[in-house]
Amino acid sequence: MPNTSPDAGSGFALDVPVRRHRLNNGLRVVLSEDHSAPIVCVAVYYHVGMRLEPPGRTGFAHLFEHLMFQGSPNLGKMELVRHVQQNGGTLNGSTRYDFTNYFEVMPSNAIDLALWMEADRMRGPVITQTELDNQRDVVKNEIRVNVLNRPYGSFPWLEMQSRAFENWHNSHNGYGDMGDLDAATLEDVQAFFDTYYSPANAVLVVVGDLDPDATLALAQRYFEDIPAATPPPPAEIEEPRQEEERRWSYVDPLANRPALAVSYHVPERGTPEFYAMGLLNQLLAEGQDSLLHAELVEKRALTGDVDGGLNFLGHMHNAQTPLLWTTTMMHDAHVKPDDLLAAMDDVIEPVRGFEQSEATIKRLRAKARSGLLMTMAEGGYPRFGVADLLASFELFEGDASHINEIDARFAAVTPEVLLRTAQEYLRPGNRNILALEAGAAE
Amino acid sequence: MSTASFPRPEVTPLESSPLPDRRIETIGSGIKATLVSAGVVPVAGIRIVVRAGSADVPAGQTWLDRLVHDYLREGTEALDSGSFAAALAELGGSLYVSGDEHTTTISTEVPSENAPSALKLLASAARTPRFPASAAERLRDDLERSRAIVGTQPGWLAHAAFRSELYGSHPYGTVLPAQAEIAGLTMEAARDFWTRRAGGSNVRLLVAGLFDADAILEAASESLSGWDGEDHGTVAAPTTQTERIVRYVERPGAEQSTLQIGLRVPAPGHPDYVPLEVLNSLLGGSFYSRITLNIREDKGYTYSPRSAISSRPGDAYWAESADVTTNVTGASIREILNEIERLRSEPPGEDELRGIINYVSGSFVIRQATPGGILNHLEFLDLHGLDTSYSANYVARVREVTPSEVQRLAQEYLDPAKMPIVVVGDQAQVQEQVAEFGPSA
Repeated sequence: MPNTSPDAGSGFALDVPVRRHRLNNGLRVVLSEDHSAPIVCVAVYYHVGMRLEPPGRTGFAHLFEHLMFQGSPNLGKMELVRHVQQNGGTLNGSTRYDFTNYFEVMPSNAIDLALWMEADRMRGPVITQTELDNQRDVVKNEIRVNVLNRPYGSFPWLEMQSRAFENWHNSHNGYGDMGDLDAATLEDVQAFFDTYYSPANAVLVVVGDLDPDATLALAQRYFEDIPAATPPPPAEIEEPRQEEERRWSYVDPLANRPALAVSYHVPERGTPEFYAMGLLNQLLAEGQDSLLHAELVEKRALTGDVDGGLNFLGHMHNAQTPLLWTTTMMHDAHVKPDDLLAAMDDVIEPVRGFEQSEATIKRLRAKARSGLLMTMAEGGYPRFGVADLLASFELFEGDASHINEIDARFAAVTPEVLLRTAQEYLRPGNRNILALEAGAAE
Repeated sequence: MSTASFPRPEVTPLESSPLPDRRIETIGSGIKATLVSAGVVPVAGIRIVVRAGSADVPAGQTWLDRLVHDYLREGTEALDSGSFAAALAELGGSLYVSGDEHTTTISTEVPSENAPSALKLLASAARTPRFPASAAERLRDDLERSRAIVGTQPGWLAHAAFRSELYGSHPYGTVLPAQAEIAGLTMEAARDFWTRRAGGSNVRLLVAGLFDADAILEAASESLSGWDGEDHGTVAAPTTQTERIVRYVERPGAEQSTLQIGLRVPAPGHPDYVPLEVLNSLLGGSFYSRITLNIREDKGYTYSPRSAISSRPGDAYWAESADVTTNVTGASIREILNEIERLRSEPPGEDELRGIINYVSGSFVIRQATPGGILNHLEFLDLHGLDTSYSANYVARVREVTPSEVQRLAQEYLDPAKMPIVVVGDQAQVQEQVAEFGPSA
């Protein structure tokens, strides 16, 4: 049980129970008890995402995720889905920059079944050309509904990353070019599985109403004899320091109002500056008390909302760096990008010039911690928010229990660190500006 | 293969759903509070729900309710918007204002220890909103921009056309305003709407998560008592009937057609409502449902087809929605209608239904495993005038559903001849494919 008793610092401590174990084949197991409702989330994270797919096969990591629902040695097409549903559960999978995950939320009496099924899936997809063709069509329709047939569909995510990043791993379209999707073969599927889906490249996380000893025994029973394989070398995803501001525009034929996105490269994950960047996001762009909201929305009425974040596909804790801190704004045609940029400069330059007060930083920490708690308590897939954080810290920092260090890391950000981070990372030379021009009629 | 050396584990189905206890109190001025202690993450969700929604705005003022939401975020008599937001942020909260046809909900989630203080701030936002005249032009411009942008989104266009087919001139039938309507919305109208309807027995306080209940009730009593108000009633439930027609919304060059197909069905509280939720999950409302298996997993026509039942007091409708590749628009509609007809002509198999029953029972428990999920359920009960016995008996009722009952419900309520079909897409490309499904409107 997390300890919710008051402590001297914050009034209460967040202490997520974490039990870690590595199986003989290299699979890392992370367990966390929460007996507040009779449910569990079983999640398997593979350390491969959009950044790692091979050139010429854009979108492959995501297509592969779909194929992992199409059959494995002891489960036919969609049988895993059927067993989850018929035993009262719900499930999903997702492909992000650095990982692909598969998870079920189920009544806790189904934990045995869920582990058995994920172990079967870890042994590899067993599919035919028919299933590959079917899911290729489904994925193309996913791209149509989310990107091609929708105004602002690729804004700012795909449009910004393709311009602001230099390294192909970071810049390419992870949803995939239709031509690359068409070129994918069953041989590609097997090769991708063999390279990236080994136990040593994965983390199994179970959160919820569980007994740690019994759950670990089940994990050993079903997963430990999956053959070990050499994990792939880490991805080369570094970006050079950006020296000059860059600016682009493009026309979205489906949009009837212009929009602006501004992105800065962020500090390396885990550093004090990275947590300072998280607080700068809170200071500048999160909530109605943020400085950009006050200036651009309330004072100058240039836009109705300033949206900010460090990760197009999640939040600051569940991705590796490089990432971009991005703010986006929709506006009317009579407002020009330069009006928005001038207002942003008037907000950001003082933040680069002067230290913030302790009282302000205290408020930023409260907002950051609260955002984290809301993520953990999120209702779409209960217990998944905690599982996602545990898996991310295990994959990216080698220790899931770092989840309990987040508070201390934000607390260590001093006014001086915040200022230093603003000076280096909110430099004009680190800035990328992308204007979306409205191509549709009113 | 070694997994095979262990047989697939069997699972005992849930027979009941242990739900956390509710504590119900009356605070004063007729305001009722429901408190549910649950969870281990130290957060509390707080909602002040007021009976005033989009169905209550005067004709010709569509989205006045949204303008009210915007003004409720503009500070209080004591604190301007920036100071209010900062005060709530110091407690770890943000102010959310949302609504539906009959309610406006002012809410936040905060770390547990700050719940009483956050409640007092929320109460001030609800009771003494500032309605600054200086924000009038900006908020109207923002609302007009939202209207323009929403009007390019295929999902919204389909929803608006479908609502109009289902409800005609009843307030439920209008979800998008005309540009001229936005131009005519004023701060005074927003303020009058809110002050007339907010207060007294129109108000509910809902709290879920981890919190000190006595401290919450004390804060509630301090900040909400004396907030009097009258019941102004609301519109009567619609009585509209529909027939099969095809309604096009033109989007030239669209790569997909956005479809909605459905009709009105009995509302929550009707004895057939809970079994209809089971039927919906079997037909299109879950990943392993018949329509999804057909048009996604077999045919690859679409990515996220889904059916759902949408409800208001005394009213509900069932609808299947899907974004399908343009050249299979007709084929997709045919498959959807075929699946409906199949359920009308033969009962589902025992095993198939048993699996769906387990899914619906399990989902009910899973949905209530977080503060937000609990609060959503409490709002649902309040809206439909249902009491705790609905929650307590839900799983048992679901488990009673039989194959012949599902067939009977499909025959009685899902008549394809009464289902309007909305197609948002490139009419020139799809007209020939769709012609067989009915006269176009």
